[in-house]
Amino acid sequence: MRISRLTLVVAFIVLLIYLTVPGQETTRTVRRAKSTTAPAMPTNVEPIDTAGLKDLISKPKDKPLLVNFWATYCDPCRDEFPDLVKVDSDFRPKSLDFVTVSLDDVNDINTTVPQFLAQMKATMPAYLLNVADPEPAINAVDPKWQGDLPATFLYNAKGEIVFKAFGRVNTAALREAIERLAKN
Amino acid sequence: MKKRTVSIALAALFVITAAVIAGSGRSNEVPAPPAIGATIDEFTLPDVNGQEHTLKSLKGKNGTVLIFIAVQCPVSNAYNDRMEKLAEDYKDKGIAVIGINANSSEDAATVKAHAAEKHLTFTILKDAGNKVADKLGAARTPEAYFLDANNKLLYHGRIDNSQNPDAIESNDLRQALDSSLAGKPVEKPEAKAFGCSIKRA
Repeated sequence: MRISRLTLVVAFIVLLIYLTVPGQETTRTVRRAKSTTAPAMPTNVEPIDTAGLKDLISKPKDKPLLVNFWATYCDPCRDEFPDLVKVDSDFRPKSLDFVTVSLDDVNDINTTVPQFLAQMKATMPAYLLNVADPEPAINAVDPKWQGDLPATFLYNAKGEIVFKAFGRVNTAALREAIERLAKN
Repeated sequence: MKKRTVSIALAALFVITAAVIAGSGRSNEVPAPPAIGATIDEFTLPDVNGQEHTLKSLKGKNGTVLIFIAVQCPVSNAYNDRMEKLAEDYKDKGIAVIGINANSSEDAATVKAHAAEKHLTFTILKDAGNKVADKLGAARTPEAYFLDANNKLLYHGRIDNSQNPDAIESNDLRQALDSSLAGKPVEKPEAKAFGCSIKRA
């Protein structure tokens, strides 16, 4: 009986850990790219319009594509960015393409946006959505998306969404989704 | 021995449940918003002073605008003046504007102080458990819902197309209110824009 109580206690602790850290990196071992010693160059941020965005997500791919929509003014976007940079260094370019799309004002394209990316040592291709009306872009990505930030979409090589997250992404679940695609 | 087997089975069930909950990405799930034309149920929420209000007690004779707002979201803050002006402009036309703060990270005292600082005079309700945000499928701030006099949903979405007041091309929420006041159908009953995700409890 003592053993069974112990089992229950352990199970409960496992449950608590799962429930309290939904958006955090778990402590499980992940494949880490060997850290490079060269400092990351500030990322050049390219403007993109709705047609360009549509083209980016629908063009034929030889690898899965991860797209993160974010803004410097968005707290959870900034909070999750270090996790995404780790995902980038672990999976790109071997088994993943990763681009970020900033929703900041176009006037920030040469200032706060690249400054933040440089600070994060983010080297994935970076875009800034430059449109007068954001609605066609939001609907082109996902009609169910209300435009809440951050938003993260993982496309398989066929261009189908296989994982999405609105609000801060659950990095462990994202990694699992990428690993699942890599195995297929 | 049997008891032990049962306990192990229970423990396994716990772990499986935990894994399923964790894997479902529950923190990201926002219920789907009601369809345009749906009737929104009556609700009760406290204001920033803790006083309870029903939708019935606050609504305008020609309709009600509910806007999910935030203290810290720069997008929501970019609309403070426009929301205040909207409330002023439509008060005499019988449409009430009500703010709702559903961010778990912003308590009633913070919301009250922010409203005073930004000169927001319309009623702001505190939806601490996301009760109304879930019912309306609200995902971001600012996000607006316009209900007619019978609480029928006529418009859901953005206030207008741009955070920058100089770049407004499509005044979607005002157009919906004006159409309804003129007895005409709302031409564009849904419109989207980017905003901050609501931090749910």
